[in-house]
Amino acid sequence: MNLRNNRFAKKSVKLLILLLSSLLIASASAAVYYSMIMQPSVTVTGATIVFASGTDFPGGSALGSNSTWVSLALKAYPNATLIYDQPLNISNTDSASHTFRLRHISITPASGTAEVANFTFFNFVVENTDGAAQASFNYTVSGTTWTTPTTTSYMTLPPNTQWIIYVETKAAAGANAVTANLQISVDVTQ
Amino acid sequence: MVVVTSFVLQPEFFALLGIDLFLLLSLLSCLLDERFPKAIPYIYQLAAIYGFGHLLISRNFLDMFGEYTRFWYSFLYLVIALANVVAVNVYFAVLKRQNTIAKIWSVAITFPSILVAVYFVMQYSSMQNSMPSIMLQISLLISACVIGLSLIILARPEIIRKLLHKRKEVIR
Repeated sequence: MNLRNNRFAKKSVKLLILLLSSLLIASASAAVYYSMIMQPSVTVTGATIVFASGTDFPGGSALGSNSTWVSLALKAYPNATLIYDQPLNISNTDSASHTFRLRHISITPASGTAEVANFTFFNFVVENTDGAAQASFNYTVSGTTWTTPTTTSYMTLPPNTQWIIYVETKAAAGANAVTANLQISVDVTQ
Repeated sequence: MVVVTSFVLQPEFFALLGIDLFLLLSLLSCLLDERFPKAIPYIYQLAAIYGFGHLLISRNFLDMFGEYTRFWYSFLYLVIALANVVAVNVYFAVLKRQNTIAKIWSVAITFPSILVAVYFVMQYSSMQNSMPSIMLQISLLISACVIGLSLIILARPEIIRKLLHKRKEVIR
């Protein structure tokens, strides 16, 4: 009887130790797994929609090293419309389509200054590969006030496709040599 | 691009499942210690600790191993754990000839373990395009065969007895 009790106690202790050890291992493993699934991973990837220079890419313009920004040096002739057929392309390098829009950020000289009267308009038109206009983004002048464009609606750029940005500029008759700086953002949804 | 990978089945889930199976085997073999060699519960505990170490390493070197590698070493660990579950079943049925325990084991442990493992492997879809589909099919086929054999043993234990009896006669 004593032997049996002794054996039972021994087995209970053994089971208890294994049970505690099992609980420890199981909870520690679950905690490690939980920390893995709740760990956000940040991946740096190349932009899927980038700028590409067009056939009319103006001299003095600059395209950023990752093609994520571009600085166009456009001219405007007094009382004559100057057309850039294809100064810039917007390229979707991804195998999936993405949407983008044009959004006005800033323009100098600011409205209200006399220099503004030297300009008539700057028109930016987004064209698809067939040359069909998808959106217009026009800056016009009324006296010394800029009328800035409203943000375009999102346009869907198909995979591995380049669209064109067509530009028209015009300065007022008898305009002086003044520089205007426009900042436009291209917002892309991933 | 920021990717928050919460609520997505990670490949290490299979290792976690394997750890739990080893712990279960350890506790059950302790409860049935008269039928097993004494070292078995501790060996299964060591196997579970090995799996825990494996999880820790996997977490710390997450970027070094690709998802493909992570899946295969976790899956292999789970397969080893399942093989042990089946081996214990066979040990009871064939070597120990304890058919009642073998039946209970196959219904309560072997069948649910294999079913749960197969379910989660099927749920894990992110690797299915890149992993050779033939391997998955073979794994599922083996799982189905094991389940089928377990059920046959459960329903007709005399088949095994007859087979063993015939074998003994041939040896004589």
